[in-house]
Amino acid sequence: MSTPHPTTTWQAMQDGNTFYRRQQLYSVPGKLPELSDYIVAGCQYGGPIALMRDSTKLLALGRVTPAVTKAQIQVFSPAGEGLLLFSWDQGRIVKFGWTVDERLIVLNEEGVYRLYDLQGEYQQHSLGTEAAEMGIIDAKMYGNGLVALTSSLTLLEVKGWEGARPLTLANPGLSEPPHAWSIIPPDLNISRHVEVLLSTEQTIFTVDNLENIDQRLSRGPFTHISPSPNGKFLALLTFTGTLWVVSTDFQRNILEFETTQVAGVEGSVQQVEWCGNDAIILTWPDLLLLVGPSGETIPYTYGGSTFALTEMDGIRVISSDVCDLIQKVPTSTLSVFKPGSTSASAILYDAWENFTRKSPKADENVRSIRPDLARAVDECIDAAGREWEPYWQRRILNAAKFGRGFLDFYNPTDFVNMGQTLKVLNAVRFYEVGIPLTYTQYNYASPSHLIGRLTSRNMHLLALRISSFLGLKPDAVLKHWACAKIMRSRAVAGADASGDDEVCKAIVEKFDSLGGADVSYAEIAKKAWEVGRPGLATRLLDHESKGSDQVPLLLEMKEDKLALVKAVDSGDTDLVYYVLLHLYKRLPLGSFFKLLEDGGPHLAPATRLLEVYARQQNREMLRDFYYSDDRRVESAILCLEEATWMREPSAKISAIKAGQKFFSEDKDRSFEAKMMDDYSRLLSAQHQFDMENDGKISSFGTSINETIRLCLVNGMAKKAEKFKSDFKVPDKRFWYIKLKALAEIRDFEGLEAFAKSKRSPIGYEPFVKHLIEKGYSKDAVGYVAKCDSPKRADLYAECGEWRLAGQECKTRGDKTKLEELRRRCPNSMIARELDQILASMK
Amino acid sequence: MSSEERTTETGPLLDTNILKEIAKKDLVNALNAVNGAKTLVLDSTLAGPLGLVTEVALLKQHGVDKMFWLEPGPLTSTTSNIVYLCRPKIKYVKIIADQIKRHAQEAKKHMYTLILTPRVSTLVTRILEEEGVLGEVTLTALNLQFIPLAEDVISLENEFAFRELWVDGDETVLFDSAQGLLSLQKLVGPFPQIVGKGDYAKRLSSLLVRQNKTPTSAAEAPLSSAANVDSLIILDRKVDLITPLLTQLTYEGLIDELIGIRNSHVELPVAIINPPPANAPSASAATASTSAVPIVNVKKDAKKKYHLTTSTDPLYAELRDLNFSNVGRKLNTVARRLDEDYKTNLQSKTVAQLRDFVGKLGGLQTEHQSLRIHTAVSELILPLTRTDVFNKSLEIQQNLLASYEVSAQIAAIEDLIAQGADMQIVVRLLCLASITAGGIKAKTLENIKRELLQTYGFDYLPMLLSLAQPSLAMLLPNPLPPSLPPSGKYPFSLVRKSLRLLIDDNPEALEEVENDIGFVYSGWAPISIRLVQCIAQKGGVLSNPAEKEKPADEQSKSSIEKVQAHPIVGWKGFEDIVSTLPGETVEVAQRHDETGSALPPMSASPIKEQTSTTVVFFLGGCTYTEIAALRWVGRQNKGRRFLIATTGIVSGASLVESLATGIQSGEPKSASA
Repeated sequence: MSTPHPTTTWQAMQDGNTFYRRQQLYSVPGKLPELSDYIVAGCQYGGPIALMRDSTKLLALGRVTPAVTKAQIQVFSPAGEGLLLFSWDQGRIVKFGWTVDERLIVLNEEGVYRLYDLQGEYQQHSLGTEAAEMGIIDAKMYGNGLVALTSSLTLLEVKGWEGARPLTLANPGLSEPPHAWSIIPPDLNISRHVEVLLSTEQTIFTVDNLENIDQRLSRGPFTHISPSPNGKFLALLTFTGTLWVVSTDFQRNILEFETTQVAGVEGSVQQVEWCGNDAIILTWPDLLLLVGPSGETIPYTYGGSTFALTEMDGIRVISSDVCDLIQKVPTSTLSVFKPGSTSASAILYDAWENFTRKSPKADENVRSIRPDLARAVDECIDAAGREWEPYWQRRILNAAKFGRGFLDFYNPTDFVNMGQTLKVLNAVRFYEVGIPLTYTQYNYASPSHLIGRLTSRNMHLLALRISSFLGLKPDAVLKHWACAKIMRSRAVAGADASGDDEVCKAIVEKFDSLGGADVSYAEIAKKAWEVGRPGLATRLLDHESKGSDQVPLLLEMKEDKLALVKAVDSGDTDLVYYVLLHLYKRLPLGSFFKLLEDGGPHLAPATRLLEVYARQQNREMLRDFYYSDDRRVESAILCLEEATWMREPSAKISAIKAGQKFFSEDKDRSFEAKMMDDYSRLLSAQHQFDMENDGKISSFGTSINETIRLCLVNGMAKKAEKFKSDFKVPDKRFWYIKLKALAEIRDFEGLEAFAKSKRSPIGYEPFVKHLIEKGYSKDAVGYVAKCDSPKRADLYAECGEWRLAGQECKTRGDKTKLEELRRRCPNSMIARELDQILASMK
Repeated sequence: MSSEERTTETGPLLDTNILKEIAKKDLVNALNAVNGAKTLVLDSTLAGPLGLVTEVALLKQHGVDKMFWLEPGPLTSTTSNIVYLCRPKIKYVKIIADQIKRHAQEAKKHMYTLILTPRVSTLVTRILEEEGVLGEVTLTALNLQFIPLAEDVISLENEFAFRELWVDGDETVLFDSAQGLLSLQKLVGPFPQIVGKGDYAKRLSSLLVRQNKTPTSAAEAPLSSAANVDSLIILDRKVDLITPLLTQLTYEGLIDELIGIRNSHVELPVAIINPPPANAPSASAATASTSAVPIVNVKKDAKKKYHLTTSTDPLYAELRDLNFSNVGRKLNTVARRLDEDYKTNLQSKTVAQLRDFVGKLGGLQTEHQSLRIHTAVSELILPLTRTDVFNKSLEIQQNLLASYEVSAQIAAIEDLIAQGADMQIVVRLLCLASITAGGIKAKTLENIKRELLQTYGFDYLPMLLSLAQPSLAMLLPNPLPPSLPPSGKYPFSLVRKSLRLLIDDNPEALEEVENDIGFVYSGWAPISIRLVQCIAQKGGVLSNPAEKEKPADEQSKSSIEKVQAHPIVGWKGFEDIVSTLPGETVEVAQRHDETGSALPPMSASPIKEQTSTTVVFFLGGCTYTEIAALRWVGRQNKGRRFLIATTGIVSGASLVESLATGIQSGEPKSASA
């Protein structure tokens, strides 16, 4: 057998039931430098490692290479291929680590951090000026953020990698830097917020953005704090060399282990890392010790120093010769291959082997596991996924296929999916690609994540083939390819128009042929613009179908008018604002207005939006705008609006006068001009009136009706008459006002005099009704007689004068009315009276 | 009309509560993003909508310590986290900026989070930047879109949509509507057809079509295809400005007119909601009102908000859409029924009977409670409908609609001004006169405007100008000034005739009124709903679908098979009349994938039992009467239900108010700045 049996890599724990395996992923002799001289940061999910010379280490003179004299960072794939090498010219690096999408974060002591992709392109962000002044002394990073420790021993958190503003976490109140510290990422926490563990003196502080909790331990200080991949457990190493595993809330003791008792090691423990969620790896130079959940151990020896990197389902160990994966043997694999296993899957596998040898035992075997066959097939499929060698993958899958033949109904989806997945995994595990992704990791991180990683390595063809193989959209790959293409073509100097055309054509053709219709041309165009190819950017933008995506770039390219048109077309008012505010800032006011005015009806929505904004935030600009556009009415309204907010009399009056002037300049607005003229007259009169009364009455700014009412309730009938005649208030309205005002001050004599002063233009019914409404029914009775006779009976009734109502009916000889009154009268006494009247009418 | 009939019909209509759950979840997530105790500062126009999706208790559960209204002036907070929640309006942002600056002056350290709904806008960022506080604030979005108001009504609850669109020309609400409808599509599946009327309806439909073309939205499968949406009907308010100007005469409509409904809540005297300590156990009452009361700041006046909803108030479903004249009768029958139900108790002798009764008791008590409330509410309304002004304005409305003695009506309006009637009533009548008569004689109009300004204040001049501007054209002189486009005139009499809007008020026709959507205005059919009928119930436009030959008694009616609704074929048959109305006509078939045709195979195979949903979207708001009328239309046929979507609930009063106060909403920068 050419490929060794899977169990050759297995080693059993002391209890004999748990197995761990060491799978050699790549052999890398001579490709990596001596790791002990370097600070190493590894990226999870089979990602690359970054190395930087550890300046605290002594160095033998002969080995000096450029990489150690300058501040340089090297990035190697797990297969030992150099991916990237760059030198650092900023302040001293305090920490580097990896993001979830395989970008290298490098943070320096001034709080500046850069995110490098695998092509060496970077984005730079900062932790802010405060952080820069204090200085950063250390940091911890996780896939989606980082926590930095400042020299004044406070903690700063950054969420995401878009340069978000750092948040200050609760003050841990430290007096000296922690002995060791660590973070638990938000997605592994109950609170969903990042949690920092700081070892100080005897204890550990747990800090989040709200509070700082002392866990009140007495075993510290600790040299290592290492949270498990699922965030549930902590591995702590004390100064005395005791490994202590505890649940994250410090409530449950899992394990204690004396590292000093381990035979054949020198010096202190270098790394404490988790192997999956159930075992811990301790590293010394030349030796790795795997400590199981109940203290059992398996030693692994390596030549030279190593670097261990926790994965969710195991641990990757990189030494100068090999890159290994140590993990607990998965259940399904164990079930198939465990020596002496009698599980259904093991028997199925055996049956298949017998079948290939044409042995009749095959049939016998299958029969014996008949009831469990479906489960055995499933287990084999799963076990295939856990194998590294294609040879064994194929064999186990064959066994599964063989077993499937005996089943009547079996859904082959799992089988087909596993075949596909393995094909993909084997392709990316190939050393030239160098992504040693396990089946579990692949499922967790999703195929599109994998595609993203391939494109960031510029492996577009492989990425494209994998995405079409998996039925994913090719968009992401194509977009990245196009950007890379543009970047690459930049190098071909003299980017003239013909070059632009060529590149644009190549990109468009490629997209058309590969079905990348949904790729955003705008983003690619932006890239072209950024690398200084405006011609290419314009050409690419023409292919963009979504208007809203074109706008920001158009603005940047100073295609102002076009940007505004596109923004209006998109219907997104926010986008219009974006353009407007941008242009307002950049253009001289005159050309800004001209742009809008020249736009005609098409840009009208934009103009309206500008007005809405300016009316509340920038009235000065609006005034100019209306003025320059000869929009008198709007100018006038602007004045009126302002007048409504003004309290100070003279300012208000002059604002109204200004409005009046604007109206008067428009010949169609003579009515409005007249009204404003009245208004300013009214305001002046009111102002004077208020002054005359020493501020006892405040009529200023009220309506004419209200002013007249004020005069009347204050007993200034003459003044009221004057307002009436000055503003030509019609009699009818004046009578209503006066009626109400007099009723209000209960001047019933005055009211009577007023009613008799001349024939009422509103009749006398309103008198009755209003007085009843205000509860002066008695005073209302007198006016009923002046009303139209047909209505009197009802009005009397409303006043509560039923007898009068009855008599009224009698006078008019209206018997039906009387009967109706009789029906709805409130009590029997009145009823009797009405009956009498009724009787007398006969 | 009975509720039983309705429930049997309630087929696979979209469960609007999904929208509520989505909104609630989003809110909780937004709050949880800020760790620890926080002070929540709410924009008061948002409190109502939020009250419909969540309760105070839920907010407290998620760390909200105290709540304040977003108001100008200083803010004191005991928690270090301050969370602002508001719409992205300039005035709010300025208040926030001001408060932050004040804190900075007082050297108070706070963490500020600004949650904007429905989305973060450039404008806000810009203003925060101009005010110099952008760095202090974390901006996030809460995508609050359609909120269910009833089982068949969803609303964006934007009070100012009408003003923003037709006065300010701010099309933000258009975009928000498009986003909301797109989200709705994700729930119910794509709209195979879009039919509509009005310029903004056109713009909205083209936005929708464009967005649907982008790949992301088309690919996803709808969450529930059960609703089986056959079309989207978009009507913009401009198409029917008459309806909101009239006084609504349904129960719900009148409550809105006379007391006012905001976000499905009505303020009632406490005595009505909480009965004085009576024998009725208050447990049921308490559950009904606690869930209903949103964020209420304690006020001294004895008013309390009451949630008008059918879920806790079963009677309301039967009452809300009735013409007010029938409400008394209905209350009476319900009271009698309840009485009998209680009486059965006395007759129950065996234990089993007793147990049956006790089982029903809870239901009876809720019903009893809601009967009590609605009786009290109608008592509250009744005197208000007896006032002179109310009746006079009804009379003027009816006469104007019939184009009867227009100049006399205008004189009557003038009298109303002299009497000092409510400004909104006068303005509504004036606009109605202008629209129905094609403008008011220039001299008369000027005179009335002068009266109006003198009576209510010259500050209303901008409002009058807005009403006259071409985009609204609600209050115009006759002849039209040359500056206005001739299309501004509304073809009123033509529409009235061809859409059979006015149902004669003779005694013989009384029956007919009850049998047509006209019942909501006692003899006037809202144009908007007639237009919906033009699309979804073509027969109903020409004659009453509830045929006269059928006996009117309910029993036999429900047993008779209803007519199956016809498939949606756009405006077919009514193209001529629709084209005379101002605004563009919309008819789009949306094609979503290459395989399936745009129209479900309706015409191909005679499907019988399938019930489809027609979404009717009112751009610029709809009235309660329109909802009632649309429900009535839905009941006439089987196989079609309506889902009513709107930017908000409006009434004539709220429209006039929004036009009048809009200008004051944005107090400018103080002079010192």
